[in-house]
Amino acid sequence: MQNDDPPAGFLKIDFARGQAEPTFNTHIGNLYAKRGAKGTRDEFVMGFRVHPHMCNPAGGLHGGMMMTVADLVGGMGAGTLAGIRKFLPTVNMTFDFVAPARAGDWVEGRCEVVRATRSLLFSHIYLTVGEEKILRASSICKIPSGDGLAFGKAKLERRPESTDERPPT
Amino acid sequence: MPAPPGFRELTDASGFAAANGPWFERVEKGRVIRAFRPGPQHGNALGIVHGGMLAAFLDSAMGTTVWHALERRAVTVRLTIDYLGPGRIGDWLMAEGEVVGHDEHMVQVRGRLYGPRHDVLAGLGVFSLLSGHRNLKSRS
Repeated sequence: MQNDDPPAGFLKIDFARGQAEPTFNTHIGNLYAKRGAKGTRDEFVMGFRVHPHMCNPAGGLHGGMMMTVADLVGGMGAGTLAGIRKFLPTVNMTFDFVAPARAGDWVEGRCEVVRATRSLLFSHIYLTVGEEKILRASSICKIPSGDGLAFGKAKLERRPESTDERPPT
Repeated sequence: MPAPPGFRELTDASGFAAANGPWFERVEKGRVIRAFRPGPQHGNALGIVHGGMLAAFLDSAMGTTVWHALERRAVTVRLTIDYLGPGRIGDWLMAEGEVVGHDEHMVQVRGRLYGPRHDVLAGLGVFSLLSGHRNLKSRS
């Protein structure tokens, strides 16, 4: 079992919700999130520990992994900050790969909502290792009309049950 | 389901590419096409292929285009992607790039990812060329 050792306040995101077949968000590795109190929209930070299976042949964090997490931060994160509780399909993403990350690094993703219209959500995303920015991304998501598309919502494991997880401090 | 004729599996993959493969490649008359067949592990909550996986795959195809066109390794500096339609699990998805311009240091590449019915992603990338003598392993 990989040791992710997430910093205080980060809870593992349960994307599978008991489904037998893991989806991509589970398959790529454990993803964590730090959020304010349940139901609030003031904070969203996604985090993960870089493991060898997320790396490229040169030993750095694979750009595909960075893009995947940035895409998620642009959907889940910006959706959370804008108070939208729907699946937000990505329309456009632009990624600037400004620095590499290495195995063992703890990567965090944050976003800023630029503007939410009735049908589109514009956001900026940074991935960072410590103080250093490794990826800048710009995201546009579609806000579906009505309730949007039905899907199993990811949930934070607010009370971790397994022993290999640190209790929230 | 077997790969269509002409595609060979990229067996030297490691790390992220190995964890999310197998990926395939076909080279014909200076044109290189990458392909894979997404499974449930590539899906998102809607049961279509995850945007991050599609982005990663198109990026790899565009990077390999640079190698085939200029025989230089390159790293992605910027990638812009438009999501045109859903990628279906079980479909044979293909991606290819085209070098639209370059100088000694930078390359501009147009990319396209498509399935059997429609285009899925349109991409535009800027890649930085690594110096010729630097022998980096292929980013498969």
